Amino acid sequence: MKALEIYKLLPKTNCKKCGYPTCLAFAMKLAAGKADVELCPDLDPETKTLLGGATRPPIRLVKVGVGERSVTVGEEFVLFRHEKTFYHPPGIMVHISDTWPEEQVRTVAEDVRDSVVHRVGTDLMLDGIAIRNESGSPTQFAETVALVEACGDLPEVLIAADPAAHEAALAECGNFLPLIHAATDRNWRECAALAKRYGCPLAVRAGDVKTLTSLVRNCVGAGVPDLMLDIAPGSLREFIAAATRIRKAAIERTDPDLGYPIVFDTVPLGITDAALAAGVLKYAGIIVTEPLSPASMEAALTLRQNIYTDPQKPIQMTPGIYPVNEPGRDAPVLLSVNFSLTYFTLLGYLEASRIPCHLFVVDTEGLSVLTAVAGGKLTESLVAASIKQFSLNEKVDHRQLIIPGYAAPLSGKIEDETGWKVLVGPRDAAELAGYLEKEWRT
Amino acid sequence: MQLTEKEDAVLEVQLGATRSEGGTREVSYRIGGETKLPFTEAEPDRLLVALEICDETQFWPPVIREYVGDLADQPDEWAKTAERTWGADLVRLNFTSTKQRGFDDFPGITKTMEQVLAATSRPLIVEGSSEPELDSEVFRRCGEAGEGERLLLGTAEADRYRSVAAAALAYGHAVIAQSPIDINLAKQLNILLQETGVARDRIVIDPYTGALGYGFEYSYSVMERIRTAGLAGDADLAMPMISAATDALAVREVREAAAGDRDAMAVAWEFYTAFSALAAGASIVCVRHPMTVARLKNALAAMQPASGQKEV
Repeated sequence: MKALEIYKLLPKTNCKKCGYPTCLAFAMKLAAGKADVELCPDLDPETKTLLGGATRPPIRLVKVGVGERSVTVGEEFVLFRHEKTFYHPPGIMVHISDTWPEEQVRTVAEDVRDSVVHRVGTDLMLDGIAIRNESGSPTQFAETVALVEACGDLPEVLIAADPAAHEAALAECGNFLPLIHAATDRNWRECAALAKRYGCPLAVRAGDVKTLTSLVRNCVGAGVPDLMLDIAPGSLREFIAAATRIRKAAIERTDPDLGYPIVFDTVPLGITDAALAAGVLKYAGIIVTEPLSPASMEAALTLRQNIYTDPQKPIQMTPGIYPVNEPGRDAPVLLSVNFSLTYFTLLGYLEASRIPCHLFVVDTEGLSVLTAVAGGKLTESLVAASIKQFSLNEKVDHRQLIIPGYAAPLSGKIEDETGWKVLVGPRDAAELAGYLEKEWRT
Repeated sequence: MQLTEKEDAVLEVQLGATRSEGGTREVSYRIGGETKLPFTEAEPDRLLVALEICDETQFWPPVIREYVGDLADQPDEWAKTAERTWGADLVRLNFTSTKQRGFDDFPGITKTMEQVLAATSRPLIVEGSSEPELDSEVFRRCGEAGEGERLLLGTAEADRYRSVAAAALAYGHAVIAQSPIDINLAKQLNILLQETGVARDRIVIDPYTGALGYGFEYSYSVMERIRTAGLAGDADLAMPMISAATDALAVREVREAAAGDRDAMAVAWEFYTAFSALAAGASIVCVRHPMTVARLKNALAAMQPASGQKEV
């Protein structure tokens, strides 16, 4: 619905009780899917229902857990990340069985709590624990949950078919908003009642859309608004196909009952890495996985970080002089651009070569060498100004500048403008080490 | 439910030629032909895993040099092991020797081509020249040695594509068209190649794949854009794609891993990159660690559609 159509249905009193200065401002927020219709205290229930369906985000925002480590997923707007950012990275929950010995449960939970991957100034972590009721015993399930609770305030997924097991476990952790997994056509009444009592999010699970949507309607009707969808995939392929269809139906609002985050239990499929990657790439909100090796954890968290970056804002490096391998005053100076991809590629090869050098990054507004040269963003005057700005002449004793191979057409102009001797380096970063070994002389 | 406006298909490109097709391969592949995004249709996807090998390992990642040991000095044995032991669908032979200063061993290129072709039963991808000055002689040698074999010959770039295109035309091969992570540059290069006479069904797009964690997000999105544009009817982008995350084993995480963890880290890094490239629309992924091949093949085997796949 457009903002003006929504506005016509609002009280037009500009009472500000919704937190916005005017009813029109509120209408515009609603139209953008950025506000909740419930904020208006004066709307009749009928209008609320009408507006709610049309204005709420296409995928409901759902939170699992409490506090610092809680995970919030949903509220996505597109099918492809080049159209607009993916906003809420999926929560990766590591599976624990209630048949495991205490020590194993504790080790896995502590590992999830403490493992950190440092990348590009960010700490990446796994998100929580999924506890599975494989023992068949509600008591044992509750005991395992208590054990995990004792390890810290990690978000939890409670996986059990038996509502009695959920009831026992929720007595331990219900106030910490675990995800209850899962309501099916057999047990949804009991599961929904428990989710309502504790205010927890609830997953509904069915292998076909018809059952899934009727479960959604039943659970919403029973007073549980925070739902997630489990499409019970029999294979990884079924997951990708079904998740893609559901995401598309949700963002196009063709089926409002599918407008919830997807939960993907990869454990029954038995192919951890592929399933984890597929979940990250293809629309999972919560992913349950086997415990991960350090290598898989690093790669999976890095993939998630990559996919959930803003495609419209390439990560740019701050211009300046970056020392690589502890360079001295006679080390070579390599001119480069502030496109982060160029920087990381260069850095990788240079660090591997162990050759000390200065990486001299100038501001091409995040463009690569080729595009910056073609688009006139990398020019002799920019190079001259940057040499002055970063006092390059005070950093080194020589006056030689190695420029990227793709910037070769600028070599003469840069020499004239800066007075520095210009050497044309290779076009491919992979060849830099060989080039420096052969060509660099002060 | 359709995911794109039109039901156009990605063009089919044939790789390799069997005896009845004029070559000596035991199998040939047809890649492309998709009408939907990867893994969303009921037919199996035609996806291939290539293991990359080279003829001069001083330019190859140390983690691989150590893993393959003596094979590193014998491209033909390396290629044979890639197919028969490690399960690669095909081999990508990189003539890294042409990176050496003053390279002039052109007969050596012919000899290596002949040896590797004799050692392998599958189609071959050949990455010929690394130096513009060597392009015409090197690509001619590669193309000639594989005449009739329908090689996938690389790499054509916007400012140097004539030599590789000429070799492909003269000896009946397909071409890898590489452009730096940009859908418009990819389209432009495809048009340039067609103008030289390379048929549309002899072109495989390489949008350049950055390493995971080092710009992979751009590669992933460009692959998705190229694939959806092709499916939506843009004929100059309706070619299958190849993805080789060349830098994946040069990243800090792999280099700095403890000796005992280095193989695992290399494989994880390659696997997550290659699997994601397949999900974004690549038809062939090229990796360098033998263990990555098995992990990708396992994943792809698990992705085969079951008969009577349920409609959700």
